[in-house]
Amino acid sequence: MEFSIVDRDGDIAVLRLNGRLNMVSAGRVRDAVATAVADGRSRVVVDLTRVEFMDSSGLGALVSGMKAARLAGGDLRIASPTEQVKLVLQLTNMDRVLPAYDDAETAFANA
Amino acid sequence: MPELPQHVLTLSSPPDDIDAVHDLLAEVWMQLPTISKTDRHSFETALIELTANVLRHADPGKEVTCRVQVETFADRIEATLSDTGAAGEVELIERDMPHSLSESGRGIPLIQALVDELDYSRVGATNMWRMTRWFQL
Repeated sequence: MEFSIVDRDGDIAVLRLNGRLNMVSAGRVRDAVATAVADGRSRVVVDLTRVEFMDSSGLGALVSGMKAARLAGGDLRIASPTEQVKLVLQLTNMDRVLPAYDDAETAFANA
Repeated sequence: MPELPQHVLTLSSPPDDIDAVHDLLAEVWMQLPTISKTDRHSFETALIELTANVLRHADPGKEVTCRVQVETFADRIEATLSDTGAAGEVELIERDMPHSLSESGRGIPLIQALVDELDYSRVGATNMWRMTRWFQL
């Protein structure tokens, strides 16, 4: 799993992931979101365009990030999930809690 | 009788990790180009969840060996896992998803949603798991 963080519009951080979001990489993703939030960027977009696979550990990292962002007055939103990621979100009923936005640019367009 | 396509991986953790199972499945999918995306995604997710569950519940600091076997048939795909970890304290009754803000506890209910059969038994000092997904018509 590779990832990069891009700052956008002050308090928005875009975390672009590339690879598998599973028990191997979940801890790093959780830490990256926590760091962004601690640095004052409480609105976090996780761009899943290049995540070909996510398991429940990876989903746990997104939930952890969402809670950290909301505690700081912001939110975590996901953008552009692939088919396998959508399947996991649907079957865990998390598509309602983490609705998918078309792309990272529009995830916070209305907020 | 033609020989059944069979793929086997023996994983020792640490240092092996879950990515070895993805590599094993990449081989399976190469030889099974007709499988639907839904069947492929469902089975891969279930097998990764099951293996991750085994690795996560192994005694900390102790190596766990896990043998993963995948067999494909005309109408279904099956995986058998055997591992040397502590006896699984797993209730395989249909489990509900945890609260939406929970960060864990979705693995087993997710497997149950993804495959048609999931069985566990303890044989001597070994945990035995079997899961089957019947192909969608």
